[in-house]
Amino acid sequence: MVGSLGARAGLYECGEVRVHPTGSVTFFTGTHSHGQGHETTFAQIIAERLGVDIDAVEVVHGDTSKIPFGMGTYGSRSLAVGGSALARALDKVETKAKRIAAHLMEASEADIEFADGQFTVAGTDRSVGFGDVALTAYVPHNYPIEELEPGLDETAYYDPANFTFPAGCHVCEVEIDPDTGAVEIVNFAASDDFGNVINPMIVEGQVHGGIVQGVGQALLEGCVYGDDGQLATGSYMDYTMPRADDVPSFTVSTRTTPCPHNPLGVKGCGEAGAIAAPAAVMNAVHHALSARGVSRIDMPATPARVWQALNA
Amino acid sequence: MHDFTYHAAGSVTDAAAKAAAGEDAVLMAGGMTLLPTLKQRLAQPSDVVDLAGIAELRGIRVEGGAVTVGAMTTHDTVASSSEVAAAIPALAAVAGHIGDPQVRNRGTIGGSIANNDPAADYPAALVGLGATVCTDRREIAADNFFTGMFETALEEGEIVTSVRFPAPEAAAYMKFPNPASRYAIVGVFVARTTGGGVRVAVTGAASCVYRESAMEAALEGNFSAAALDGMTASADDLNEDIHASAEYRAHLVGVMARRAVAACG
Ligand SMILES: Cc1cc2nc3c(=O)[nH]c(=O)nc-3n(C[C@H](O)[C@H](O)[C@H](O)COP(=O)(O)OP(=O)(O)OC[C@H]3O[C@@H](n4cnc5c(N)ncnc54)[C@H](O)[C@@H]3O)c2cc1C
Repeated sequence: MVGSLGARAGLYECGEVRVHPTGSVTFFTGTHSHGQGHETTFAQIIAERLGVDIDAVEVVHGDTSKIPFGMGTYGSRSLAVGGSALARALDKVETKAKRIAAHLMEASEADIEFADGQFTVAGTDRSVGFGDVALTAYVPHNYPIEELEPGLDETAYYDPANFTFPAGCHVCEVEIDPDTGAVEIVNFAASDDFGNVINPMIVEGQVHGGIVQGVGQALLEGCVYGDDGQLATGSYMDYTMPRADDVPSFTVSTRTTPCPHNPLGVKGCGEAGAIAAPAAVMNAVHHALSARGVSRIDMPATPARVWQALNA
Repeated sequence: MHDFTYHAAGSVTDAAAKAAAGEDAVLMAGGMTLLPTLKQRLAQPSDVVDLAGIAELRGIRVEGGAVTVGAMTTHDTVASSSEVAAAIPALAAVAGHIGDPQVRNRGTIGGSIANNDPAADYPAALVGLGATVCTDRREIAADNFFTGMFETALEEGEIVTSVRFPAPEAAAYMKFPNPASRYAIVGVFVARTTGGGVRVAVTGAASCVYRESAMEAALEGNFSAAALDGMTASADDLNEDIHASAEYRAHLVGVMARRAVAACG
């Protein structure tokens, strides 16, 4: 997609689903989880799709001696692109497993249905479990060895057809102490459309983290250099990282319009908070200050800056 | 960190002897300021004498209308002491607003005042309450103890043993924290003493804690926030940094002083 826009690169992602003889699964992904909970989200997708226990799924990321080459985690792409590669690899696993199941049940491949971890011959009560198929794939005794390679290990690459377009609305209410210039966020509500939500708690956590980062940008954080080029904010004694008591409890919710062009119907959610919050916070600050004739204030709106604007 | 010899002192006398024996010895309380200084190689002492094991330096005593706090008493102990809360609630409040829980669990009153950081909270409480600093050699009035930026009246090797605070009629501390460090950009401690006097001590604003005598005079006639209406500090000698200009600090001294008076009830 981005290649056609002139990027001269394909921003695909890659995923390898390795089903083990026991029916447990290892997923190797080119995206990286540094707190976003891919270990949970990707495992949920696999567990739901293959009907295996979520504890039987391991997600391997970040170890370049093990994982396939990937593009990594950025641009809220891990689920939309990496998750889509996973969905494609799972398609391949299912196709091959159906062929093995058809052989085991002496039925036509076209008649095999797969649901809840069971392969069933349509219209009959004949079925075989996913674990049995996995074992057969690696211990190929009763197996169509002439037509089908053993093993159940599939890799897929996914190059998105388009960007995803999450949308949302963030509303912020502030109170400003005119005597000191201190800004307090008293209310913050966010509603976002991230397409299908795999894990609501993780999504909520991503939005929380994003909002706090946005609040940091709007009110607290800033690198300051002295006239001599020396960094004056070289430690957290001077650089204001947002802390829990700088923000209120947020009200967050989601609305779902599935993404029409990727297999999971998902959109990016990681950056929504960090994108919307600075604008929402600064709009609230401007709104409060406009009553006192202040028409412009730059980020971060620190107490000193706000007080100065009020007394200019 | 440069090499040094560590000594655990068992008593004040022992600590004094060990400090005197070292070529360039320092005392250590909770190490909250000292250890980062050593790690950054801003100091290179030959010997570090640890006061942590000296029982006589710990604890709080309330008697005869005064609260005595041992030098090695942590901020958390002062903040959560029911005796302090009953005798001088403003003192417990000062301790409770220092840094974060980790700092309050290790930082001590002796270390804080011996260090005399211009933005530290305790100096305002000591000067505001007219406290007395007790050392292994003498007693020093708080008004004479804090002599300049990171400077005190302590002599070489002199050990703070405790601080004695007379209970006031009413007192309150208002702190406008630095958003990053949470030290005071400006902190004002106001007390109405039992003799009818008023003390207004300001920390964070200047190179060292000081008293706002004009505000004290205004409050002696009329102890109300209104008596300070329109009053600010003079910006002339105030600190200026990336967080606050001298003018802003001067203004905040007035705001915090009015709020502290109002909080005295
Ligand atoms: C992250 C952080 C945030 C902080 N925030 C605040 C804040 O908001 N407000 C505030 O007021 N303070 C703040 N502090 C300072 C803190 O309150 C400590 O009191 C201060 O750092 C001193 O630490 P300490 O008691 O462990 O003394 P140490 O670091 O052990 O010693 C400090 C100095 O005092 C000397 N000393 C120690 N005890 C004695 C004694 N009995 N007699 C003579 N000299 C002695 C030492 O030799 C050394 O020079 C903060 C500190 C940190 C690290």
